[in-house]
Amino acid sequence: MKTRSLLLALCLAPLSLASVAAETGQILVNTDLKSEPYADAKTLASLPGNSAVDILKRQGGWMQVKPADNTQGWVKMTAVKLGGTATNAKGDSGMSALWNTAMQGRSGNTGVTVATGVRGLSPEDMKNAQPAPEQVKKLESFSATKSQAEAAAKSGKLSKQNVDYLADAGGGKK
Amino acid sequence: MIMRLSLLLAALLAASGSVHAFNLDLNKLLDVGKKTTALKEIDEKGEAEIGNASAASLLGAAPLVQNEKLQAYVNQVGLWLAMQTERPDIPWRFGVMDSDSVNAFAAPGGYVFITRGLLLRMRNEAELAGVLAHEIAHVLKRHHLIAIQKNAKTGLAADLMSLAVDNSSSGSGYGEWKKKALSASTELYARGLDKDDEFEADRLGVVIAARAGYDPYGLPAVLQTLDGISAQDSNVALMFKTHPSSRQRLDLLDTAMAGNLERYASQPVVADRFEKIVGDYARRGK
Repeated sequence: MKTRSLLLALCLAPLSLASVAAETGQILVNTDLKSEPYADAKTLASLPGNSAVDILKRQGGWMQVKPADNTQGWVKMTAVKLGGTATNAKGDSGMSALWNTAMQGRSGNTGVTVATGVRGLSPEDMKNAQPAPEQVKKLESFSATKSQAEAAAKSGKLSKQNVDYLADAGGGKK
Repeated sequence: MIMRLSLLLAALLAASGSVHAFNLDLNKLLDVGKKTTALKEIDEKGEAEIGNASAASLLGAAPLVQNEKLQAYVNQVGLWLAMQTERPDIPWRFGVMDSDSVNAFAAPGGYVFITRGLLLRMRNEAELAGVLAHEIAHVLKRHHLIAIQKNAKTGLAADLMSLAVDNSSSGSGYGEWKKKALSASTELYARGLDKDDEFEADRLGVVIAARAGYDPYGLPAVLQTLDGISAQDSNVALMFKTHPSSRQRLDLLDTAMAGNLERYASQPVVADRFEKIVGDYARRGK
């Protein structure tokens, strides 16, 4: 596992940092494999529950997957459980492989195992935490102004939309 | 509140049997009653004070990551989201906590935190936006504040009792109440909010993300990631204990979003910027 994530990080780094391509999943229940990410798209095959897929990408509420013995296509993201097989059981998604590699690099020279245990956020820790007001002051120093936020949105090509809040399951707006 | 107080008074009197036997000071009791009634509606200043103290507790459990670029980035994303809500002008503060634990927190008055453990499991900015927007929704709806008040009120009965039977007590003011509120708040982070508050924050969060111009499926994508993490992993212990199951949240959100938010699914996920800033942090390990 360690060697694998290291290799993976090395292979992927020059191309893209996204490790989505390396993710695997499991189909939860029998699901139609669609040619496009739409409910009324052509059905390519029916994928049985518990079958393994490689996840290629997500688009909105859909995932492009490659089943072991089938052509690639699209399924609803709710039909997929990530991991499911031993390769990804720890939820090593996103940037965590990079972090783990960095931590292994640090410990590599000395041979000392890096302590990666939970730091200070167990239910008991939460109850017994001693206030750290100096950290709140520090937090203040990182705050953004509205114009900084607007500039960041612009450079991310994000444009404001008018969208109403969703009704809850009972039908009433909250 | 007044109704409840008079009921409490009646109960106290009935329980004591004789007023004199317990040295009951009725005036003092009524005085305390007035104070607590006056505190019923916490104003923005009070909310900010309780939030500040709650934030200090959270950061006492796990401090901020020491990476200014990362912290500034999360603040810009977070504020842009908050600007699309009905409380754009409160002092919003966002922070990344230095913990492997997978979690995010909100505190009254505009404090939002995400742990390194959760941040590193994300793939793009739309996922970060989805989680921040969920926490922003808790602040908008004052979920923690209301729960803290409920908790403090439950404790109040005991306080009134002890005050009422103790003539020498110097009385209980705002400071005392705030201390109680703070202990209720730390208790709350260990116990979690009501499930319905979490579902509501999910529904509001995806809309806030869509308003800010993101693909609103960032939050469902994170819930799917969480669903894939083994419950045996100690890093998810607190989050799983304090939230409904990720699978249930994902399914409910997907149903609620169908027909409403799908049209925004092609909005940007902003992967490049996220990969650069969070990836740099991850590669350096600090």
